[in-house]
Amino acid sequence: MSEAADPMSSSTLDRDVHADTQATWQSLLERIPYARHLGLEVQHSGTRVQVHLPYRDALIGNIMLPAVHGGAIGGLIEITARIAAQSRDARARRPRILDCNVDYLRSARARSTYAAAEIVRQGRRTTLVHVSCWQDRASTPVAHGRVQLLFETVPNGKTREQQ
Amino acid sequence: MAGTGNLADHDPVAVARQFGEQVPHSRDLGMQVLAMEADQVRMRLVPGPELRADDAAEELCTSVLYSLVDSACGLAVFAALRELKPIATLDLRMDYLRPAASKRALVAIAHCHHLTDDVAFLRCPVFSEGLDEPVAIGNATFMRATQGKHFETTASRSDAV
Repeated sequence: MSEAADPMSSSTLDRDVHADTQATWQSLLERIPYARHLGLEVQHSGTRVQVHLPYRDALIGNIMLPAVHGGAIGGLIEITARIAAQSRDARARRPRILDCNVDYLRSARARSTYAAAEIVRQGRRTTLVHVSCWQDRASTPVAHGRVQLLFETVPNGKTREQQ
Repeated sequence: MAGTGNLADHDPVAVARQFGEQVPHSRDLGMQVLAMEADQVRMRLVPGPELRADDAAEELCTSVLYSLVDSACGLAVFAALRELKPIATLDLRMDYLRPAASKRALVAIAHCHHLTDDVAFLRCPVFSEGLDEPVAIGNATFMRATQGKHFETTASRSDAV
């Protein structure tokens, strides 16, 4: 990475780009009733835009441990993948989730959970997103998800909703 | 079976069913256990408007189906084993075949199709109630007996049921 004396430092640019992404992601989240139900919110931390799942007792899946329900973690992963893919689409079309595969790495305890997305491939019709979820440190994730999404098109190039 | 209040004296499947209905996240989404048998568990979810995928569409968020399948598969492991040792989801894959209408109840039918000493393999189609074709199919792997050797007396008792 170059440390060249560019008057417009790259970190300033990065911050602007991330502030933009954060605003876009937040507006996409707010249109999803289930995301509101889960209480999801977009944050940015350093160079990363992330989605926060605040802890609530209603998220518990295992009363004994206690641990957050695997389905709540799955929801955080799917919705993070969806808004990451949707924010990259020029027309901000809503993609359809085709499949989702989550590997659970350790139990998610009764506290905040965070998710960050990486777009692995953005094709003409499908987008593949990897999502990592963690609680205390991003380096010790509680789950990894892989989500395949489809931007549906019809022969005239319009989405189904636009017809 | 005499009700002494001791967990081990109760049918483990009945206990697991009751336990399953008390899980906070499952209650929050409106899940109920319809049937719990050795070879399959049926769960139902009557969705509220807060479970939709979009303000502008009468479509359920796929994540609701995901939670339903995770819950149904977990109970199906207990039903197949007839014991209450702790289990943990290792992985779960969902294929979303078609959108699920938000005005129809969901029914998930989880089936434990293979068991080893360590692992349970499950399959779980999800239906929009009243329609023949599934809206989604889940495949899950659970680890058995993840912790708590203290449950072992319960397990040996349940074998005699």
